[in-house]
Amino acid sequence: MRALKGVSFDLAAGEVHALLGENGAGKSTLIKVITGAHSPDEGTLKVGDETLRSLTPAHARALGIACIYQQPALFPDLTVAENIGLRLKKPKPFSVVKRGSQRQMAIDLLKRVGAEISPDAEVRELSMPEQQLVEIACALGSGAKIVIMDEPTASLTQKEQHLLFGVVKDLRASGVGVVYISHRLEEIFALADRVTVLRDGESVGTHAVKDLTESAMIKLMVGREVATLYPPAEGEPGETVLSLKGLSCAEGGVQGINLEVRAGEIVGMAGLVGAGRTELARILFGITPADSGEILLGGKAVKMHSPREAIAQGIAYVPEDRRRHGVILEMPIAHNITMAVHPRLFPGTWLRKKSETSLAEDFIRDLGIKTYGPEAPGGSLSGGNQQKVSVSRWLATKPKLLILDEPTQGVDVGAKSEIHRIIRGLAKEGLAVLMISSDLPEVLGMSDRIAVMRGGTITAVLPGGADAHDVMAAALGQSGREVA
Amino acid sequence: MHEMSSAPSKSLKGIFARHEVVLLLVVALEVLIFSLLGRNFLGEANVSNIFRHSVEIGMLALVMTPVILTGGIDLSVGSMMGLCAVCFGILVKEAQFSPLLAALCSVAIGATGGGLNAFLIARLKLPPLIVTLGTFSLFRGLAEALTKGSKSYSGFSDSFLALGNSEVAGLPAQLWIFIAVALGVYLLVHHTTFGRSFRAIGYSPEGSRYAGLAVGRNISLAYILAGAVAGLAAVIFVARIGEARANAGIGYELLAITAVVLGGTSIFGGSGTVCGTLLGYLAVAVLNNGLKRIMDYELLDRKISDMASELSGLLTGLLLIVALAITPLLRILATRRSRSQH
Amino acid sequence: MMRKYSREIIVAIALILLMLALAAYAPAYFDPQPLLSRFTSQAPALVAAIGITLVIIIRQIDISIGAQFSMCAVVAGVAAAAGMPLPVAVLAAVLTGAVMGAFNGLLVAWLGLPSIVVTLATMVTWNEALRLWQQGRLMNLPAGIQWFGLSQSAGQGIVIGLSVVLLIAFAWGMRNLALGRYVYATGTDAEAARLAGINPRWMTFGVFVLTGALAGLAAVLNMVQSPQVQPNAGDGLELKVIAAAVVGGVAITGGRGNLWGVLLGLLLLVNVNPALTYFHQPPYWERAIQGLVILLAVVADGLQRGKKVKHA
Repeated sequence: MRALKGVSFDLAAGEVHALLGENGAGKSTLIKVITGAHSPDEGTLKVGDETLRSLTPAHARALGIACIYQQPALFPDLTVAENIGLRLKKPKPFSVVKRGSQRQMAIDLLKRVGAEISPDAEVRELSMPEQQLVEIACALGSGAKIVIMDEPTASLTQKEQHLLFGVVKDLRASGVGVVYISHRLEEIFALADRVTVLRDGESVGTHAVKDLTESAMIKLMVGREVATLYPPAEGEPGETVLSLKGLSCAEGGVQGINLEVRAGEIVGMAGLVGAGRTELARILFGITPADSGEILLGGKAVKMHSPREAIAQGIAYVPEDRRRHGVILEMPIAHNITMAVHPRLFPGTWLRKKSETSLAEDFIRDLGIKTYGPEAPGGSLSGGNQQKVSVSRWLATKPKLLILDEPTQGVDVGAKSEIHRIIRGLAKEGLAVLMISSDLPEVLGMSDRIAVMRGGTITAVLPGGADAHDVMAAALGQSGREVA
Repeated sequence: MHEMSSAPSKSLKGIFARHEVVLLLVVALEVLIFSLLGRNFLGEANVSNIFRHSVEIGMLALVMTPVILTGGIDLSVGSMMGLCAVCFGILVKEAQFSPLLAALCSVAIGATGGGLNAFLIARLKLPPLIVTLGTFSLFRGLAEALTKGSKSYSGFSDSFLALGNSEVAGLPAQLWIFIAVALGVYLLVHHTTFGRSFRAIGYSPEGSRYAGLAVGRNISLAYILAGAVAGLAAVIFVARIGEARANAGIGYELLAITAVVLGGTSIFGGSGTVCGTLLGYLAVAVLNNGLKRIMDYELLDRKISDMASELSGLLTGLLLIVALAITPLLRILATRRSRSQH
Repeated sequence: MMRKYSREIIVAIALILLMLALAAYAPAYFDPQPLLSRFTSQAPALVAAIGITLVIIIRQIDISIGAQFSMCAVVAGVAAAAGMPLPVAVLAAVLTGAVMGAFNGLLVAWLGLPSIVVTLATMVTWNEALRLWQQGRLMNLPAGIQWFGLSQSAGQGIVIGLSVVLLIAFAWGMRNLALGRYVYATGTDAEAARLAGINPRWMTFGVFVLTGALAGLAAVLNMVQSPQVQPNAGDGLELKVIAAAVVGGVAITGGRGNLWGVLLGLLLLVNVNPALTYFHQPPYWERAIQGLVILLAVVADGLQRGKKVKHA
């Protein structure tokens, strides 16, 4: 699959150029090409007067390209001053670190960023926004000519945001080019000179920010019509399977969730990355138990403290991170599929390889998993087929509620529509489905109802055929029709 | 990415089976060399000896396999043997327990010690290497403390000593126990959901939790089993030596780990077989014994049989290094070659 | 700052309490001559502990350090017995250690093998090779080797002095040299280190070589304390120094710890035995107490880490 197709992007000195797009539109890939983490298949990069086929991270840095990632890449065991020192200029191995001047430099840079952080604090003790400010200080200190900021405000407080805006304006004034990625439209209007919108790995145009309205920007992002390739809903949903009342969990940053999912219904969960959707799923699956609120399953209040308990209650969760939490690549498909049903399939803990194989073969056939057999290791499958194995594992538990987290991420187009058909088929059989997806057309096309999350809470519940614009607006925190 | 859809060719299966096959060839080669060069290597008495002198290590290797499959390690089994041997001696000689009852107590003490490891590793989620390093010292230290540093217990009844020195149905008595343990561990690892879970946990502890496996309970089982069998091995050791003292099983943990890794179990967890471990153990045990039988040849002006223990240790170490290094080395060479071809 | 050094402070307090108790109830402990002898005999372990600390900080382990120590001692002894001057014998020991360390480093850094098994294998190999070579014999050293040919007290002074100088030098270097930062950075996050322009492979390799060389030096410092070389002088050293590092607050997960903590940890562990003696307690509790101290240290680490994870 191609993450990026023929994108042109340019950045002038002393400019803030915003990059906008849905999750998975290709922003991260573009950044990785600019910072040298990925090599482009085609095309060239031009930095100053130098034209290049591709970059290495070291080369990119030498050219004055600095990137502030969402997840700061600092050394948690070293102090702030040590981190800044290491990042700015790799000192010669046997040189003595000038602690005093390093500390002073750190103090100066932190002051420029307006951060009240002790240079002697260990980075592990800092909060996420503080770490981000340290990253920005590093970029400032390195004298970067190009600074890329990947959603820098995602975890900042209001006050820190204002400081950051000041820093960005400072950078611009001193002739630095800033690539600014954010989902928050108001930030783009406040800071950016130009904006480039990406969609499905392609650029849909670069515009001067002052020429655009909020609404026009959202339209650019959403763009296309929702295709008709989604399997239609049929029949009326049945009784309520899952009902959440005021569900909160401080650890997951989720608060006051009210939601119902009925049998035979697909509820789509839209929202941006970090809006709390996966966190909600983790609460329901007993990974991070809720602090307060009620989970009613089939009208009965339940509490989940581990995935085991959740599974016993009839909840299944197809996780987002397929490699870490889903399919074990080294193990055969059959073993992967039966992992969650050991007690039922193997009474007395004794493996019954025949029934295991036949169960696996059933799923391979029913879900159309393309493989040479149940003994094939998970790693031999394509992404889409791995996802089908992951779904199979959970269907084998015969759940009442199926939670899918980004079910078609990293899946090619053909397998994607197959997975959609499977999901719809399951709903038709009476399963309650909660589908988290950052793929807007998918949410719009598949869902009977759409719940939109933002900042750890549900901001809107919209009907199935809702307008893409409204969903996006709710996810971005713009004035949408608030129905919830 | 792997390419999908290609059917499992014989060669692919061959790769999985290969380690055991190679190891089998190593064992066969050892047998061939020793029967040619050694005196009376294949004699009935000697074959019995091979096992008589090594089943304790073999048993530890067997139960080390599930531990390593979960991605852990247990350095404390050798010390556990020392502690259990001492406890056994005290129970029989001072508390006047019958050997059978004392043996059961020994196994229970082993399981309790394994339980301590399990609690620290599975419950408090501490690194196995350091936890078992601590219990390695603790168990041996308790054994030394209980014997006041030097005391040993001997003078066990003949019927008990028979366990270590007699034959039952043509095989050394302790070999029967070993076979039972081997069968048990084999069934556990390859035919129960526990074994399946060990592997899954070794490959991906997080993924296993998401799949609803009882991660902590399975890890605990592996360590408790290791402790219990160490207790059993201690009893056999005492029966063979005729003496219970604190230094029983010194260094055995390393020999056991060597046998497991030699047998192809990945130290990172997940993959490995009980058959591999058995072959790994056999390769070490045969090597150790066979060199003792080479009395007619000299190396560096010394009879090989006189330096059998050192030589077999050295060869085991080298074998282990080769076994570890061969796969990554071949991979690096292969990528070099393919790069130079492009 | 208090929290950062909490482990060092706790171990230091434990050590001070032990010393106070000894001062109150067994003042004979502080008789200068036996005290000096005890410190001298533990000085080689301190030098070896420096190496193991670096290895653990870079997120590896080396259990072959005891075997390296034995091998280097014998190499130095053979060189000395062959009539070579002491500096040559020292050089031979250090080089031998460095080569053995390089072998570990090669297997770990370039073949990506887990250091625990690699060093297990090399430990067995070196130990058995040594037994094959020396057959467990004690080797008599020529005159002029013991205590560097000086008086005992002068020799003791040199041994302790050298060890302390090495400790200070490494502690300073780990804190103040860029190279020290590289070691911490690599141990914390090898990938991030790579992005920061550090080569994790070379760093790992270098640390193993250095550890081998330090083991060689430690072996020499041990050798000069007696008229004979024991071919198994390093038995159990690996566990002693790893335990000292763990008790001293070096995180087994890499990236954390410092040599002063290791010094305190080592002092605490090696004083268990003399303390038992001076308190007229049976000395055979030593190992059990040491094991308990290690477990306490690991549990404390785990609890602290658990808190931090929650906090984050």
